[in-house]
Amino acid sequence: MVIADELTSPIPTRGGRGTSRSTPKFKFDKSLLGLLPLFLFLGYFLLYPIASIISASIHDNKHHLTLSLYGNLFSGNYRDAFTGSFKLAFYSMIVSGIAGALICWSVVKTTGVVRTITSSAAGVLANTGGVPLAFMFIAAFGQEGLITKLLLHVFHWDLYGGSFDLYNFWGILLVYCFFQIPLMVIIFTPALENLRVEWIEANESLGGTKFQYFRHVLIPVLLPSFLSACLLLFASAFSAFATAAAMSNGSIPLVPLFIGNLVNGNVIAGQENQGDAMAMGMVIVSLFVIAAYLLLLRVTRKR
Amino acid sequence: MDLHGSTVEFRNVKRTFGTVKALDDFSLTIKPGELVTLLGPSGCGKTTALRILAGIDKEHEGIVEIDGKDMSQVPANKRNIGMVFQAYSLFPNMTAIENVAYGLRVRGVDSHKRESRARELLDLVGLSTQADRRPTQLSGGQQQRVALARALAIEPSVLLLDEPLSALDAQVRAQLREEIRRIQSTIGISTLFVTHDQEEAMAISDRVGVMNKGVLEQIDEPGKLYNKPRTPFVAGFVGLTNYIPAVTESKSLVLVLSQSLEISDHSPAVKKGDEVRALIRPEEFEVQKADEGATVITKSFLGPVTRLGIDVGTPDLIYAEITSKEAKKIDTGDFVRLSISSDAVMIEHV
Amino acid sequence: MKRKFTAFDKVIIAFAAFFFIAPLIAAAEYSARGYGDKGHTFANYSWIVHQLGFSPALLTSLRIAAITILIVLVLMVPTVVYVHLGGRRYRRLVEILCLLPIVIPVVSLAIGAQVAMPKSLQSTSYELCFFYVVVAMPYVYRTLDIGLQSVALSTLVEASQSLGADWFKTLTMVIIPAIRSSTTGALFITFALSLGEYTLAVLLHFHTFPTWATNVSQQNIYGSIAISVTTLGGAWIFLIVIAFIPRIKSLFAQRKRVA
Repeated sequence: MVIADELTSPIPTRGGRGTSRSTPKFKFDKSLLGLLPLFLFLGYFLLYPIASIISASIHDNKHHLTLSLYGNLFSGNYRDAFTGSFKLAFYSMIVSGIAGALICWSVVKTTGVVRTITSSAAGVLANTGGVPLAFMFIAAFGQEGLITKLLLHVFHWDLYGGSFDLYNFWGILLVYCFFQIPLMVIIFTPALENLRVEWIEANESLGGTKFQYFRHVLIPVLLPSFLSACLLLFASAFSAFATAAAMSNGSIPLVPLFIGNLVNGNVIAGQENQGDAMAMGMVIVSLFVIAAYLLLLRVTRKR
Repeated sequence: MDLHGSTVEFRNVKRTFGTVKALDDFSLTIKPGELVTLLGPSGCGKTTALRILAGIDKEHEGIVEIDGKDMSQVPANKRNIGMVFQAYSLFPNMTAIENVAYGLRVRGVDSHKRESRARELLDLVGLSTQADRRPTQLSGGQQQRVALARALAIEPSVLLLDEPLSALDAQVRAQLREEIRRIQSTIGISTLFVTHDQEEAMAISDRVGVMNKGVLEQIDEPGKLYNKPRTPFVAGFVGLTNYIPAVTESKSLVLVLSQSLEISDHSPAVKKGDEVRALIRPEEFEVQKADEGATVITKSFLGPVTRLGIDVGTPDLIYAEITSKEAKKIDTGDFVRLSISSDAVMIEHV
Repeated sequence: MKRKFTAFDKVIIAFAAFFFIAPLIAAAEYSARGYGDKGHTFANYSWIVHQLGFSPALLTSLRIAAITILIVLVLMVPTVVYVHLGGRRYRRLVEILCLLPIVIPVVSLAIGAQVAMPKSLQSTSYELCFFYVVVAMPYVYRTLDIGLQSVALSTLVEASQSLGADWFKTLTMVIIPAIRSSTTGALFITFALSLGEYTLAVLLHFHTFPTWATNVSQQNIYGSIAISVTTLGGAWIFLIVIAFIPRIKSLFAQRKRVA
């Protein structure tokens, strides 16, 4: 379950001025003591585990320092898993990004009850995942599903006539859209709400056409927010485990599933620490994506 | 700068929103090079008139002409009108100079020409050093200067200013309004200015039109508007006015504060013995220290004049303004005698 | 002034509504099917309750959620209040620390827990509580922080003290009431997350309600869809309640004023 809406709302936080940066020499400050519980908690339950993975991932089973475990990530099954995860995250980012932006475009124009319903629905749907979501889609789009039957009998379209299968890549992509699109709606709404009618009117009075407004104003204004929102979608799809696990039965190579398998004891002898390297690989990918996101967000906030 | 002034004409323009009449039989002519201000409380229809002229609001009856040409079939982006909005109208993805050059860019003017033209205009509004800043890096006053330069860059036939100063601090507001007037009269562009701030309207306009509930009540030079208001609404809205309970003595005389005065021309018709309210401006009083009578309750120093709040037994205090020199003699708690110095007063029914 | 709502917007909203509502209806219909086309029935729902392990799994999840909430209450609420009052200059640091878990994929965290945590902790399902606090931390922090920003706590405290209240009275009469609603919000989020979390639970081999539901699902397709309808429905009602809490509260406040 990903509860994303609070986190991603780009409310610039106040404060942060006059931090310890301004003090030239480090001097112990007693008010740090009040933060000790938090430091200890995060140190033990977040940083220590991550440090342990890092340490494990650079040692082979004879306890020698090595980077070969990371080298392995670029070959064989491991590479396939990363490629698969990248592909799924990328496609899901494109489809959900565009669909979500379009829906968002229409939703921000609504008012009153409709707006309340759509925005709370988005919050709820974006946090749906795992086995319940998977089974809901089996009931809807599976061989015996209601929508499959509806499409066949009413629209004479056999969903399963082509290469579609709920359990293959495209099926998982469809299921991911169910929580990724609402996530996009949540993240992208503030950007659209910041658009001003005055820009449309100024463009008109200055002699610009609708097309020129799109090309010179709307798209350049929205692009950074759109891209940063897409990066969050990528990160969310890349690290999603529960839904993938419920849908694929291991038929599609994905990093989180691969790691899951390793944790469950399906380890090839002599590569006990390979899972740690993979987990770190995920952290590194995630770090890169979030860093890019923060960078883009700074561009938008400067405006 | 070689902008010529155009003539703008509204003839019997009507606009309704549902059942609300935003503009009712609105007629107005702006002469070449003239700055006309529409003044009124919010919802009086002044902005609607401006938006109809800009072509943004198209659903109206009546005729709008620029230089004798009917505008009804001309879309907003072909009207060649420069518009400055309240705030936030600059495109955030462009620098100041790019904003100014935008109108020329969409007209296909080559980049070299439009840059030199944009620089010229930024210079005119005194922002040549800020050309490469983005809107968020500019202060509110600077943003509005850029917006003005942007509106003028397309050499419009008419300039529209929709409360361009309302989002600014008092000091910046006063400074910028003088500058708008300076630039406007240098270029000689016909201008329609919309505001709810009467001081602003009086300060910079050739003529001010006071609007109330979709109706243009009076349009006149600032001085006339103040001294010769033609309706009680105008008298009340322009300048500070006391509403004093009074009784008519005949069709043409009214008794105010036990002083018999002539009723002004634009007052509604009355007969003897009607209970009315007389509208009297603070500077129309003479205040003399006395041993008994009305009491001075408040005293506020306003620079050259001082405003006294005086209790004469009516429900509201009466405000009188006298020179600060005279006011030195009078303190709060003192008894004073009030007399009205004007020859004719406006009255309205209670 | 609003931009115009066009036919294009209607089409988009209609498509979106179909994509998100149709699967729900389909699942509800499917879950009420009987074996051998016997029409619709609630049998699949009663089947859930009679499965082995239903109540132990649910109880375990509830217990874990309760303890997680307790830790959040004891650890996070005082820390964020403290940052807003005394340790103001460490706000940026605390913010970064609290948002850090977002960057760590839960799968990776699970591996880390398996490698690093002592055996004694790994043998009990209460291990999950600590990691749920970590996973929930960004959301909890944001909720508390936004709530506290909107009440300008330090001004309130100064006002209270200048009016002569001592620290105890300030705490009970000013601070606690001021942060009640954001605290409630943060706790609700924590609760929802701990009840529905699957990844950590399954990777660390604990039997919580979500993992139980997954196991049971493999026996009976109709029953499993009934389970998913129930859990989704439950989660949604819960999340909708969270979304509407401010509105409900203002409704009550109005009632009180009228009365």
